[in-house]
Amino acid sequence: MQMLGMALVGCSCALPAITGVAAAHNLEAADKASLHYISASGSTLYETGHAAGTLPGSMRVHMRVSATFSGSFTIYAQGGTITGHGTATPHGSGVRESFEGTLVVTGGSGRYKHARGHGGMYGSFNRNTYALTINTTGTLHY
Amino acid sequence: MLLCACLAQQARATTAAKLEAAFLPDQLGSRTTLEFGFSFSAPPGQVPPPLTQIELRYPNNLGIALSRLGIAECTAKILETSGPRGCPADSVMGYGVVYTGIVLGSSTVTELAPITIFRAMNSEHLALLFYAEGTHPVVTDIVFPGLLLSAAEPFGGKVSIGVPLVSTLPGAPYVSVIHLHATIGPREVTYYEKVGGITLAYKPAGILLPPTCPPKGFPFSAVFTFSDGSRTRAQTDASCPAQTRSALPAKQQHGRRHRHAKRADNAA
Repeated sequence: MQMLGMALVGCSCALPAITGVAAAHNLEAADKASLHYISASGSTLYETGHAAGTLPGSMRVHMRVSATFSGSFTIYAQGGTITGHGTATPHGSGVRESFEGTLVVTGGSGRYKHARGHGGMYGSFNRNTYALTINTTGTLHY
Repeated sequence: MLLCACLAQQARATTAAKLEAAFLPDQLGSRTTLEFGFSFSAPPGQVPPPLTQIELRYPNNLGIALSRLGIAECTAKILETSGPRGCPADSVMGYGVVYTGIVLGSSTVTELAPITIFRAMNSEHLALLFYAEGTHPVVTDIVFPGLLLSAAEPFGGKVSIGVPLVSTLPGAPYVSVIHLHATIGPREVTYYEKVGGITLAYKPAGILLPPTCPPKGFPFSAVFTFSDGSRTRAQTDASCPAQTRSALPAKQQHGRRHRHAKRADNAA
C-alpha cells in the first residue's frame, strides 16, 4: 500500500558475469515513513511524506480508506523510483487507528526499473489529521 | 395457543422490502450526511416476521471511514446501564426512528421508537451500536451492534447489523420491524472540544462524497434476514447530485473549526 523505504539489513549482490550487465541486488529491509494529508476524493486519500532508511526519499501515496485500507505508493529514492501497492486491515477505534497488512513492489525507474519485492507493514492512521505512519519489513530485488 | 395464534398473523410469504437512500446535502466532493431507510410490506392485519439481520451495502468510493464522526466510543454496557446520556457526545454518529409492531389477537400494536447510532469499541472493525428506546406501549431499551465490513464491487463496503429478538408479553410474538429511517452524519449531531479551557461545540466533518457519480446514481443494496429464516433483498440508487466544489483539505477544516466553533466545518 504505502511505502517501502528500505533500511538495509542484509545485501547479496551478484557480480556481473559480463561487463555492462547490471548486478542484481537483494535487500532485506525495514523502514519507517511519515506521511501527511494533501487531498481526499471520496474514500481515497492522497498523501506525501518522507521515508527514512537505506533508500530514503520522498513518497507519494494514494490510499483508499474503507473497511480495509488499500492503495499504491511511489518512493522517489536516489537513483530512481520504486512503485507498488498493498492492503491492510485497520484495528482499534477512536482518533488513532492502527493497521497491519502486506505490500508488493511491482516496478520502478532508473536503477529500480526492474524492482520486485514483498513485505509486511504496520502503522497508524490519525482520523483527525489523516496523518499516516508506516513501518515496513520486506525483501526488495532490483 | 396464544403464541400460535399470534404467529399466524406474521407474514409468512416472502416479505417485500423497500430501500431508500439519499445524501444531505447532495453535493459531489463535499461532506454529507447519509440518510437511509427501509420498510417491509405485509398483508392487512399482519406484520413482517421479526428481523434478525441487516446487511446494508454502500457505494464504492464513499468516504465513510474518512469522516470525523465517532472520534470517541461508547459500549453496550454503558448504554444498557446509563442509556445514551452515559456515552460521550463525540461518539454519536447519527439518529433515526424505528416503527415496530406486533399482532395481538385481532389488533396490531405499533410503536415508534427513536434510535441513536454510536461509534463502538472494536479491535477488529469499525463498529457501531444502535440504541432504540421504546417507551409506549412497550418500555424496552434495545442495543444492537453493527460492523463495517468489506463488500464486492460495485459496493465500497457494508454495514452488518445484528437485530435482537424483542419479546413483549408472555406468549406474544417477538416485535417486528415495519419501518426504519436513520441518518449517519453530522446533521443533528454536535461534538464538543476544549480550546483554551473553553468547551466549544462544532459539527464534525461528515461523509465525503466522491467528485463523480456513477451513471445510474450511487448504488445501495440490502439483505434482510428474518427469524423464520427467510431473506429478502432490496436495492436503490441515490440520485446523482449536482457537482460542486471539492472538499476542503483537512487543515482548513480543522482551522475553521477552531475559529468558528459554532459553525459546521464543511459538514452537512
